[in-house]
Amino acid sequence: MEFDDKVPIYYQIEQYIDRQIIVGDLAPGDQIPAVRQLALTLTVNVNTIQRALAELIRQGILVSQRGKGNFVTTDTAVLAAMKKRVINAELAETYEHLMGLGMTPAEMLAALEAYIQERKDRDAHD
Amino acid sequence: MTEALMIKQLNYRRNQKQLLTDVNLTLPQGQIVGLLGANGAGKTTLMRLIAGSAVNFRGSIQVGDAGDAVARKAQVSFSGMIDGFNPNWRVGQVAETLAELLADFRGEDFYQLCDLLGLDQKQRIKRLSKGNQRKLRLAVTLSRRAQLYLLDEPFDGIDVMTRKAMLNSILKWAPELATLVISDHHVTDIEQLLDQVVVIKARTIAAQAQADDIRAQGQSVEQYFESFFGGDLDD
Repeated sequence: MEFDDKVPIYYQIEQYIDRQIIVGDLAPGDQIPAVRQLALTLTVNVNTIQRALAELIRQGILVSQRGKGNFVTTDTAVLAAMKKRVINAELAETYEHLMGLGMTPAEMLAALEAYIQERKDRDAHD
Repeated sequence: MTEALMIKQLNYRRNQKQLLTDVNLTLPQGQIVGLLGANGAGKTTLMRLIAGSAVNFRGSIQVGDAGDAVARKAQVSFSGMIDGFNPNWRVGQVAETLAELLADFRGEDFYQLCDLLGLDQKQRIKRLSKGNQRKLRLAVTLSRRAQLYLLDEPFDGIDVMTRKAMLNSILKWAPELATLVISDHHVTDIEQLLDQVVVIKARTIAAQAQADDIRAQGQSVEQYFESFFGGDLDD
């Protein structure tokens, strides 16, 4: 995995696991790999993995079972809220950029709809 | 809790030259620490002193419960330990000798590390490429069971693919509670592995910080390191 060298790595690992849950690589109730295995897969140190997992456990996204390991929560409300937060973060960035170009919300909506239509047409031709 | 390393008021002179001045440094157990500094800043000297390879210093150096040089030697695995070995020896002979000399040397680990790193047991040390010599140093260092590992510039002259294999060896073989100190003058080699960085400049410790705390301020570890030298890495 390629890391952004200006963002704390534990935070990037949190985001990585969030995304794996959103796209379904990790399903609710799935066990996540052992700390040492994750450290080797991502080439980061064990303490960094532990900090990321502790944060995800604090948020209720992962559930720790004593002696068994860490599991994705089966609480779908928690996972839906996490997904919404991740999507909102992406939208916020786009929104700020378009605001910076002087666009109004109505113009943004129209531009986004037009863009989606163009992408659909283009992808259909590929 | 016992600290992995505790250095107090360390001063070291050799041949009428001050090599280290008022070094104070404490490192906890179970961490990977980057010892960063320009060439000639004193990184190797500091490692030799911690490992007990250099003596006659002022101040104190404590590794776990070990204070004097002999006790420290048993707790510290230093990558410089094979520097005096006969260059005609083969890789396998190095391991056999170390297994006889050191109670904590694991031959089995050494052979596995050699396989992982692609080192041939039958090669003579002097015939190894620079990169393979680095690999041998790493394999030997990680094959000991110690509290503190000191890796002096392990990635100097190493290509990207080899570096990846070496990083994985470090993660896989370091015991859980051990602390690793890795010196480097190219931070990017080891950046993502580090819990914390210690900057050594002008023969003393200039700074110590958690890697993710540095990044939380929007700075890369490399930028942080360079801020101490103003882009000029020659001491």
